[in-house]
Amino acid sequence: MPRTQALMLQIATGDPRPISKQIVDAVRMKIATAELSPGDQLPSVRGLAQQLTVNPNTVAKAYAELTAEGWLESRQGLGLYVATPRQRLSDAERSRRLDEAIARFLHDVIALDYPPDEVQARLHREFLALAPRKSA
Amino acid sequence: MNDYVIETDALTKRYGRKLALDHLDLRIPRGRIHALVGANGAGKSTLFRILLGFLPPTAGSARILGRDSQRLTPEDRGRIGFVNEEHTLPGWMRVNAVTDMHRRQYPRWNEEAFRNVLGHYHVLPEQKVGQLSRGERAGFNLALALAQGPELLVLDEPTLGLDVVAKRAFLESLMYSNATDDCTVIYCSHQMEEIERVADNLVILERGRLMHMSAPDEFCARVTHWVADIPFKGPDPRSVPGLLQLQRLDGLHHYLVLDQQDDFAEFLRASGARSVQSMPVSLDRAVNGFLAKNHATPDAQRAQA
Repeated sequence: MPRTQALMLQIATGDPRPISKQIVDAVRMKIATAELSPGDQLPSVRGLAQQLTVNPNTVAKAYAELTAEGWLESRQGLGLYVATPRQRLSDAERSRRLDEAIARFLHDVIALDYPPDEVQARLHREFLALAPRKSA
Repeated sequence: MNDYVIETDALTKRYGRKLALDHLDLRIPRGRIHALVGANGAGKSTLFRILLGFLPPTAGSARILGRDSQRLTPEDRGRIGFVNEEHTLPGWMRVNAVTDMHRRQYPRWNEEAFRNVLGHYHVLPEQKVGQLSRGERAGFNLALALAQGPELLVLDEPTLGLDVVAKRAFLESLMYSNATDDCTVIYCSHQMEEIERVADNLVILERGRLMHMSAPDEFCARVTHWVADIPFKGPDPRSVPGLLQLQRLDGLHHYLVLDQQDDFAEFLRASGARSVQSMPVSLDRAVNGFLAKNHATPDAQRAQA
């Protein structure tokens, strides 16, 4: 029987992101960096809620969003598991989301007045930092 | 069927010249945890007193669990649990005597729930209530209220003055005890950190009126923080759309605004802003800004008519 994978994550109150969004972001990041692998079982809704001292409905909402986006899959009566990676979104949707994310990023960064080269270089370094773990 | 645990129609309560509740129309649906927020004097305590039948309204009506709050029977009251900030229990009675009394009083008494909640605290059966610490009394009070098997649990500032451990134990009992599975919880608190963790629904009262009701994150999304670099004097505050709070810090204008989209940037630029930035805010900041708008202040300039 597969064992539940510990979910080492922190949430913060007082953050502009709601708690359910913080959970979604953290789980996505862990899957993207292979800290969570396909087939790993996630903590139960109640278990994670207790671990974080938050309302179980908040965790349920985050899990529902992750499942709808294809990051997690539920197995009847067994719980939630990290799904086998597949392209979860249509090309058009991927492209739309990338545009959106870039727009958000630009809005934040533009007023900081860094030269574009430096911003790109730093972004590139962050990507490289993620890459090795992904191929592990 | 309209299944509301609390339903008020134009509920009004006047104390002399002061309106504590001002034609309040409030409908709280059954199920989940509802956080009730408001500045001091927003009318929360008056609302509870009327709902529990301790106080008659000046006008309007209030129903609780479908019953007229002015005509509650003992059976109706058995369906409602109430925990207030003072954790009022008879100080001269021993813990086991109080417990026996409640056990006899409430037909739906749930001994397991009682033990599960009280197990978080070092409360001995032979102790007098008056000898318990504030946190122990809070735990004991919550254990009694949950064991009663209420359909509706009203908590008025339940964690006020509790230490961090007692507070956590209290929240855990509230959120993870089986006893609350079929229970609607009304949670009154000024502590946004707690509300963020526990609330499914956020209800904001101000000066006896309902100002907002939605999931907490939806409320948060209504409020944004803008920073504009405006040389010289900024626009007249009265002309700023949706303004909640205005601060001038280091020559920059900080605006906390409600329900403003990207065109707010246009407004600021038209008012002479050289640069404009915006960011989302935390629930704490959003609620704070919202309540601060009409909060009493000695500064006549900021007072609203």
